Amino acid sequence: MTNNNSDIKLIAHLLRRAGFGATKDELDKYNSIGYENVVDALIDNNNSQRINDALVRRYFPDQSVTHDQVGGGAYFLYRLLLTDSPLREKIALFWHNVFATGYSKVTNGKPLSDQLRMFRDHGLSKLDKLLLKLSKDPAMIIWLDNIDNHNGAINENYGRELLELFSMGVGNYSEEDIKECARAFTGWSIANSDYIKELAVRNSIMPYGKLAWRYEYKENDHDNGEKTFLGHKGNFNGEEIIKIICEQPATARFISRHLYHFFVADEPPVPAWPYKEPQDSEAIDILEKAYFDSGYDIGEMIRVLFNSEFFKSERCHYKKIKSPAELAGNILRTTNEFTEPSIKITEYNSQIGFMGQTLLNPPSVEGWHQGTEWIETGSLTERVNFASQQLGDISKPGIKKIIENIIKNEGNSISAQICVDKCLEQLGAIETSQHTYKILVEFAQNNGISDINLVNDKENATKKISELMSVIGSVPEFQQS
Amino acid sequence: MISVTKSTSPIVEYHNTIGLCTMEGRGFMFPVDTAFDSNGYIYTINRGHKADPRTIRITKYNIHSEFFGTFLSYGNNDGQLLTPSSIAIDKNNNIYTCDELTSTVTIFDSNGKFINKWGHKGKGKSDLDGPTSIIFDQNEDIYISDQYNHRIQKFTNEGKFLLSFGSYGNNNSQLNLPWGISIDNNNNIFVANWRNNRIEKFSDDGKFIAQFGNYGNKEGELNRPSSVVVDNKEYIYVADWGNERIQIYDNKGIYISQIRGQATVSKWAQEFLDSNLEEASARSKANLKPDISQFNNDPHEESSHIEEFFWGPTSVKIHKNKLYVTESNRHRVQIYNILT
Repeated sequence: MTNNNSDIKLIAHLLRRAGFGATKDELDKYNSIGYENVVDALIDNNNSQRINDALVRRYFPDQSVTHDQVGGGAYFLYRLLLTDSPLREKIALFWHNVFATGYSKVTNGKPLSDQLRMFRDHGLSKLDKLLLKLSKDPAMIIWLDNIDNHNGAINENYGRELLELFSMGVGNYSEEDIKECARAFTGWSIANSDYIKELAVRNSIMPYGKLAWRYEYKENDHDNGEKTFLGHKGNFNGEEIIKIICEQPATARFISRHLYHFFVADEPPVPAWPYKEPQDSEAIDILEKAYFDSGYDIGEMIRVLFNSEFFKSERCHYKKIKSPAELAGNILRTTNEFTEPSIKITEYNSQIGFMGQTLLNPPSVEGWHQGTEWIETGSLTERVNFASQQLGDISKPGIKKIIENIIKNEGNSISAQICVDKCLEQLGAIETSQHTYKILVEFAQNNGISDINLVNDKENATKKISELMSVIGSVPEFQQS
Repeated sequence: MISVTKSTSPIVEYHNTIGLCTMEGRGFMFPVDTAFDSNGYIYTINRGHKADPRTIRITKYNIHSEFFGTFLSYGNNDGQLLTPSSIAIDKNNNIYTCDELTSTVTIFDSNGKFINKWGHKGKGKSDLDGPTSIIFDQNEDIYISDQYNHRIQKFTNEGKFLLSFGSYGNNNSQLNLPWGISIDNNNNIFVANWRNNRIEKFSDDGKFIAQFGNYGNKEGELNRPSSVVVDNKEYIYVADWGNERIQIYDNKGIYISQIRGQATVSKWAQEFLDSNLEEASARSKANLKPDISQFNNDPHEESSHIEEFFWGPTSVKIHKNKLYVTESNRHRVQIYNILT
């Protein structure tokens, strides 16, 4: 193995985790600037030039107005597929799972799409800023009932989840802290709250479609009394509570575990964290230090993470099961079917739902449990069928290009082994176990690829190679990242 | 009340709003275009969304908000459409519709009975690719905005090709994803040259005459215009779609005034509220005209929050000295009296 190959495999690993994979052509471009520069570009590039909202609004008003999660989810998928700033979409997906907010209760797609935009814009900024945005986010205010959190009649739901699921984790605060936290967020509401609540409960589209929502601070409804929170005393408002939360070592650890869980290797589900130590405590320590050193900056934590040995180590390659959105994003970016909005994106968004991840509608405030929980009989069938069908479809421009790249420079024939090597390389420098590799070579051999004259019978060769790629879509190494 | 304009020459005043957002029956779902027959019926075609095929329909009503049913269904068979984009009515009150996805023209009688279908997708002469607007001239010939071919095509009303003009580009007479078209009393063809952010004027045989408009959000500037119509006095009304407003120009393309929208509760909406008292009560206390300054000068965001504003104005039509603005995102038609 040459150094160049090592670099490409490492960058391929990075792109699978920080984005939605990359083909060989893309990897070659990334490789030309070097790993650390790729990391910097991923973190610092915050503006994708390829996303054209005017086209979406013209052709798919249901995706831009987003009455429901179908349109909003399709728009999110469109962004995943076209962006040239993949980490921005990946971090939105990350926070969409950590700060899980669902259509089932919000019943309005636009606030959810607005929330995703907020994650995209601020998901790599400092945690205190992000939590402040989250606490003022209209979808969250409805989702966790802060709209019903009043001076003298608190609703603890947001205060509880802010501590339990969004920052510190169970065991690091008391029930009294939850109540005091809730008191601090009284009055953090939305404009026209009675009307919006009425519309949300009824899932009403009348009279003129769903209205956009906006944050409103209701000073008269805010409890400005003294509060005691995590040992601090004062007339705290939400801003001070967030400041105290972000100062906590527990917060550093909790966010570090989340980042490790999402970007490095599958950890047990979040509810088990109080009882199970991280699989790599040293890595978590490094991330915690980055958290404090950077002043709670998520982008800087991720920069440290991607440049760390624990991330680069081959021990963590292919140790995560791709979420349905990651899997579909990887496949559809490879097939390169979309250069602009299309009605097909809505269909593919539905298929992500069949695989177990309905975008904009996580199953609960805990988000989607990841790792092996993505795999069950029905969802596995959907995943394998989708990957195989798409990667074997020679009508797709990305697949055509890959096959041309494979045949190019091979002369009249190609051996089964070289064909497998080149398919794996073209699909993103994929490495497989010896067992998988042997099966793929046997399949290619038995399918007769080496018997075909690549020049005279290009059509048959194309078909055979597409069949091999279809099989690659089903192997564990493709379904994992 | 006279419409809000930035000019000293207001030439329209708000009349009323018709509409209600509904999945089926009386009301609209992402309406995109409106047409009128000789018996006083108004037809609004709804793009709907594929997730719920019921939403794709033509709604028939009149200026008094009387509702006369819907027709059209989702599909690819005769009498069905997949992606409705536009509607026009001939002198016999037959209704012509375009399907952007299948690139076909489907014709119904005034009761919604399927009559005929023609057109096929392609890049060649007489082919269509993504038709987005359809109009009749005084001879009952048809002009169609052939979007992805970046040209205007002229046919007989039976679909026989007559001529085409316009080509892809940014120079004079060139088009880039044209959307709405209209014809004035002198048989000139006006084109909302969507991606070029301007209005193009051609003679009826396709000779370039003039153009106006530049990209921007200041007075007279355009951001992705979707539709254009000319009144009897040659004033030009443009749906400045990306800026969520209607702009009015003189016959030289000189800016005169603009309107941002003044929708009120329609008759259908009022009837809904009258039978849903809790919702009506909560609505009556809501501020649906919040301070515009909080939306970062983003017209799309402003219109998503301020209910009376146009949101997604996709079609402007004039009928009996009234301007009809079809708004896809607010599922309604705002009507203005023309004072010129």
